[in-house]
Amino acid sequence: MLALRDIRRRFGSTIAVDGLSLEVRTGEVFGLLGPNGAGKSTTIAIATGLLAPDAGSVDLLGLGSPSNPKVRMHLGLAPQEITLYAELTARENLRFFADLYGVSNARVRVDELLALVELDARANDRVATFSGGMKRRLNLAAALVHDPKLVLLDEPTAGVDPQSRNRILELVRRLAGEGKTVLYTTHYMEEAAKICDRVGIVDHGRMLDVGTVAELVARHGGQSAVTIERDGAEERIFTADPVAEVARQFARANSDRERGEVGREVTGLRIERPDLETVFLSLTGRSLRE
Amino acid sequence: MRAIFAIARKDLRLLLRDKGDVFFTFVFPVVIAILFGFVFGGGSNSGSKLELAVVRESESVLALGIEEDLANDAAFETTAFPTRDAAADAVRAGKVTAAVILPKSLDSGLEGLFSGQGIAIDAVVDPSRRAEAGLIQGKLNELAFRQFPKLFANPTEMSRAFSAARSSIASARGMSPTQKLLGAGMITAAESFTSSIGDEDASANASGGGGGANNAAGNTADFTPIRVKVEELAPRAGRPRASFDVTFPQGIVWGLAGCFGAFASSLVTERARGTLDRLRLAPITAFHLISGKAIACLVAGLLVQTLVFAVAIIFFGSSVAQPAMLVIAAFAASFAFAGLAMALAAFCRTEAEANGAGRGAILILALIGGGTIPLFFMPPFLRTLSYGSPFRWAVAAIEGPFWRDTSVGEQIVPLIVLFAIGFLGWIIGARALWRPFAR
Repeated sequence: MLALRDIRRRFGSTIAVDGLSLEVRTGEVFGLLGPNGAGKSTTIAIATGLLAPDAGSVDLLGLGSPSNPKVRMHLGLAPQEITLYAELTARENLRFFADLYGVSNARVRVDELLALVELDARANDRVATFSGGMKRRLNLAAALVHDPKLVLLDEPTAGVDPQSRNRILELVRRLAGEGKTVLYTTHYMEEAAKICDRVGIVDHGRMLDVGTVAELVARHGGQSAVTIERDGAEERIFTADPVAEVARQFARANSDRERGEVGREVTGLRIERPDLETVFLSLTGRSLRE
Repeated sequence: MRAIFAIARKDLRLLLRDKGDVFFTFVFPVVIAILFGFVFGGGSNSGSKLELAVVRESESVLALGIEEDLANDAAFETTAFPTRDAAADAVRAGKVTAAVILPKSLDSGLEGLFSGQGIAIDAVVDPSRRAEAGLIQGKLNELAFRQFPKLFANPTEMSRAFSAARSSIASARGMSPTQKLLGAGMITAAESFTSSIGDEDASANASGGGGGANNAAGNTADFTPIRVKVEELAPRAGRPRASFDVTFPQGIVWGLAGCFGAFASSLVTERARGTLDRLRLAPITAFHLISGKAIACLVAGLLVQTLVFAVAIIFFGSSVAQPAMLVIAAFAASFAFAGLAMALAAFCRTEAEANGAGRGAILILALIGGGTIPLFFMPPFLRTLSYGSPFRWAVAAIEGPFWRDTSVGEQIVPLIVLFAIGFLGWIIGARALWRPFAR
């Protein structure tokens, strides 16, 4: 669907994207996970044709670069900023973008989208009066107005409350269910783990690794940690099979009790499985949240 | 075309929904035009007084008396003018409400009265000041009548009048010698009566003579000893009929400036807030984008001009000398300011820059371009400087067909300059917008 090959882009002395390559397959939700400043938005701008790379190539649907308006027609972008006209109503905003794309039966399409993002009740209200979450949803709807095959969502949950975040994530899942291909950037690993079929870990403009969450964890997450609390002290055991380790620890505690040994009871137990945070730590030596 | 009109419609909606932009585009220019119209003379009465231009062509006691009484009258503020034309120009320019001409014929003094011709006084008024014309006519009648006692008490005037009467009787062909003798006798009796009136009595008569004169007027219903001829001034091509003719074109350029500021700011806002990226992502070319914005800016410019002209014509009695040429000038001015909006947007990177530096630049250009103070009030060096301001050319282009009634040859220069400014602005602005598309 979308292929970026050895993309490089520099702003002055700052290297924003440094030889990044990725391939987004048709019908998948691909997550670009990385901290702020990792080069995700620059990658999105290059992928959409808004920004020309210094080197490398972009191909959309095998049709060539999205700098060509006919190729660009197949993608929709919800930028990180709310790129809507605050003094227009929700309906007027969507209608405007529908007219720009020459959408036939624009009125029906706009109504569909307003219903999809659950803003039909506020359709005739000015965007300036909307909450952050409502603006985010409308921002997303504006990217869908021409029914694109590829949807690029750049940090679509930035700055919204948990309820709105869940609505947006549900919406993304729904889009994937309808067969859309989604390129999703975020610095929230929970989001990436929750909705992405594959995730690319980005830092300093480089693609560090790509795979499913399970594959990335298996490759870079290391072993699970089982933490056992006994008599106020904690013992941390790293193991590939934490369930077996827990069973072993309980068996040992029972045996101690039968032998009448006191003070060795297990008072607490915690399993820490490796996740994308661990993967990122392993790949970069620093936390995703730093 | 659908995308172009969508952009134009969207930009006009945004303009009309911003209260600040609506004020500066549609309300402010009308306020400026009216305010400066009054400041520069149109419709002002300096309190309750009517401003009169007085032209005294006669050196007679009668003319001097009327002039003096006009000056002392609480209803008038008089200014002496050397010629009728100068006084008429002042009326046309709205500097005075009316002009009073005390003609050379007043030299004959009471002769005219006795000969049955009456005393003629001329007045010239602005057609838009008809309400005041009646008052002026009445006042002139009153003041002229007031002169009679003075004339009757003036031995020189009376002696001149009696001599003239004797000459008339002597040369009259239809009178018999007896009638001539009787007439001459009556004149001699009247002469000896008037010469017996002492100075004090004469003074007393003069001060209380208004009533007597009025009575005299009342008793001579068919005889009009004072004839005040009021003439409405026809607008003369090439001269403003009132100060509003000058200030409404100024108001228009302020409206265009408001429009230009609003669109420049909107372009910068599109870039700063990222909506421009959405436009760039759409399958449209820079041509669509620029054309859409051009149409919106042109329509807004034409709307503001229509509004200001409508106010000028409906409420201030202005008339358009060359309607077709005015439409062309309005289009040229809108085009120029739309181009300027594009150029300003290219130079301003942030909304703060557009709203601060941008509007500041507009203000300076407006000031030196005659947007506030008419060019003819400016010192020469400022008038020269004004050639660098688009406001100057817009005012010139609009004034030409509005009231100056300039020839096509004279009109062509400001039109060419405006179109050139517009094209240049569009090229600069389009390049700034086009750049991101050139991948």
